[in-house]
Amino acid sequence: MRFLAYLLGVSIVMWGRPVQAQEENASTASKEELEQVKEALLGVSESATEYRGYVDALRKIKVTGYLQAQWRFTDVTTPGSGASHEIGRFSGGAFPANVKNHFAVRRGRVKVNYDNVLTQFVIQIDAIQTGLSIKDAYLAVTEPWLKSFGFQMGIFDRPFGYDVSYSSSMREAPERSRLFQTLFPGERELGAKVFFAPQLGPLSMFRADVGVFNGSGPTSNEYDNYKDLIGRAALQIPIGSEGMEIDLGVSGYLGAIRNNTRYLYTSGTMANGDRGFVVDSSASNLGDGVARTYAGVDAQLYLDVPALGGAVLRGEYVFGKQPGTSGSPSTSQTVSPSSQISGSIYQRNFAGWYATYIQNLGTRDQVVMRYDVYDPNTDVTAPDFLSSNTSGAAGLTASDIRYSTLGLGLIHHWDENVKFVLYYEFVRSEELANITGSPAGLLAYASDVKDNVLTFRVQYKF
Amino acid sequence: MKKTILAAMMFLLVIVPALSEETITVKGSDTMVILAQRWAEKYMQAHKDVVIQVTGGGSGTGISALINGTTDICNASRPMKPSERDKLKARYGSRGVEIKAAMDGLSVYVNESSPVTELSLQQLKGIYTGKITNWSEVGGPNARIILYGRENNSGTYVYFKDNVLEGEDYVSSMQSLPGTAAVVNAVARDKNGIGYGGAAYGKGIRELKMKKDAASPAYPPTLENIRSGDYPVSRFLYLYVRNRPTGTLKEYIDWVLGDDGQKVVTEVGYFPIR
Repeated sequence: MRFLAYLLGVSIVMWGRPVQAQEENASTASKEELEQVKEALLGVSESATEYRGYVDALRKIKVTGYLQAQWRFTDVTTPGSGASHEIGRFSGGAFPANVKNHFAVRRGRVKVNYDNVLTQFVIQIDAIQTGLSIKDAYLAVTEPWLKSFGFQMGIFDRPFGYDVSYSSSMREAPERSRLFQTLFPGERELGAKVFFAPQLGPLSMFRADVGVFNGSGPTSNEYDNYKDLIGRAALQIPIGSEGMEIDLGVSGYLGAIRNNTRYLYTSGTMANGDRGFVVDSSASNLGDGVARTYAGVDAQLYLDVPALGGAVLRGEYVFGKQPGTSGSPSTSQTVSPSSQISGSIYQRNFAGWYATYIQNLGTRDQVVMRYDVYDPNTDVTAPDFLSSNTSGAAGLTASDIRYSTLGLGLIHHWDENVKFVLYYEFVRSEELANITGSPAGLLAYASDVKDNVLTFRVQYKF
Repeated sequence: MKKTILAAMMFLLVIVPALSEETITVKGSDTMVILAQRWAEKYMQAHKDVVIQVTGGGSGTGISALINGTTDICNASRPMKPSERDKLKARYGSRGVEIKAAMDGLSVYVNESSPVTELSLQQLKGIYTGKITNWSEVGGPNARIILYGRENNSGTYVYFKDNVLEGEDYVSSMQSLPGTAAVVNAVARDKNGIGYGGAAYGKGIRELKMKKDAASPAYPPTLENIRSGDYPVSRFLYLYVRNRPTGTLKEYIDWVLGDDGQKVVTEVGYFPIR
């Protein structure tokens, strides 16, 4: 208020100046008025200095956010039953029973970052129709000498691969690939990491992160004493001087979860000679750690397509061992658990990959194509599923079925804040032609399950 | 009939040329804003069908505008940061095209009446981090040093902090001003003042000679000294565009890098890149 009062005072003095000059002795009036103006300006200057301190302090607080409202449609005949129970789970959430289309707020994020250059405090919440949840809550400290090494602790993205840390507000497809949603549900995790990320010089093309995490997901308390070591090293290599670049990354995950029984199932040949699981029931398995290990490579190629604009070809491949449970036709039991597994643990060898192509059309429009594959059990293929090996504790289940998804989409950036996304996913599961008669749950997979999803999304980002 | 013909002619004379006008928006570094305005003026004089709109705001602001799609060219007095490149890549599939358009010797000014003529980088760092507070510590009179500098959205602020202060924080008593011209004006009025900014603004006050360390010779910010690297506080001034420039944008950038554009660089007081 004081600042405005000074400004008003200065304005009045300056505005009134020509009228007074006609009526008073010019030289005397000028001196007096100049003194008044000088005093007023000094006051303004003092106030400005005072307010500048407040403004500088406020500048450290950065509030950002985005809201994604969407309408989805699926071609499934009877949503919410049997094999169709999980329709849409990897396309923005499972459709409710008997619902083929619906509106939802997929993400409503608000992020507050107190950025003191070399130290940071970050909180991000997600507000959607089902409630509030914490997405990020961490602090970060960068050393002041080289400003290249840092430390971060709290809830934040796991440093594995490219897709995990790629913001949902920037991602072209509405959701991450099935591979990453399975391995890293929620993307974040409780833990601590160190990073090397030079901002200047030739080393700025390199970044490395490595951390130790609970391994229980972003919102659950730790349920065992096993901690997971996760890391990624990445290199950015410019190509020429036309904005092109290739980025490469390698990632690793060394973790384990506690076995709360003496039973550990791994892929193998069943007693009847069929592919399935074999059980190790050693007493020493109780309380032992079951390995959760992943390795991955990723690459992003940024191209300049004449007359169209920038293009991106992005891909990742991940393989490893994933602990889970037996499974059922209705729920994927290979999604990384967020709570303790009380029953027998099934350890599967998995592999998955995706490739995405994004073509900019000018500065406002984009076309996106993504193909992703997730095979939760690489030791079996569709012909291995038989009526004779798909029942009992050692049998194969729907959690061993391979999925592939082709997504095609259009994006229009309305302005710097708003974008529209139209995206259709052709979801294809392995066709289990050798399942005849039983088990009933797997009969639905004899041909591709109807589970394609159309998403229309509007995003506002600030 | 005559009215119809007249209207058609008016349409052809007024509307059609207006529709064919091409606009280039330029945003970013305050250090470069006068240079960019001169470039724009000269170019528009020779190219009546092109409109170039120039605004400042700071290098960071310009880079944000490039990412948000609200400017065609970003002027920056510092290189783009990796985090900024990542945003550009995510949005446009391009790491951005960096064009070195001029060189700048970052000048350090004192009031004309000051007896101090040169400083080492260590002394300058000491002054701006608050370790040196009196002119007598660097060969001047017994008087408190009054510090002037740029606001933190400025590329000059960042460059000075990274390269002179070696990442340390500015002392809180430094008065942040919204442009290099304001820094020059403040130092010109303050016999105990010191400030920094682009060479283009260095008229009416004394530019100090700078030396790399106490044992090195001191050099003024001249073209030869900046190109040779003897003057220790020099930098490139950049233009950034999202993708390989084409059409009118390319013609304008080619002109900036050509003889006419580089002549403007010299006229404004910066240093041509070739």
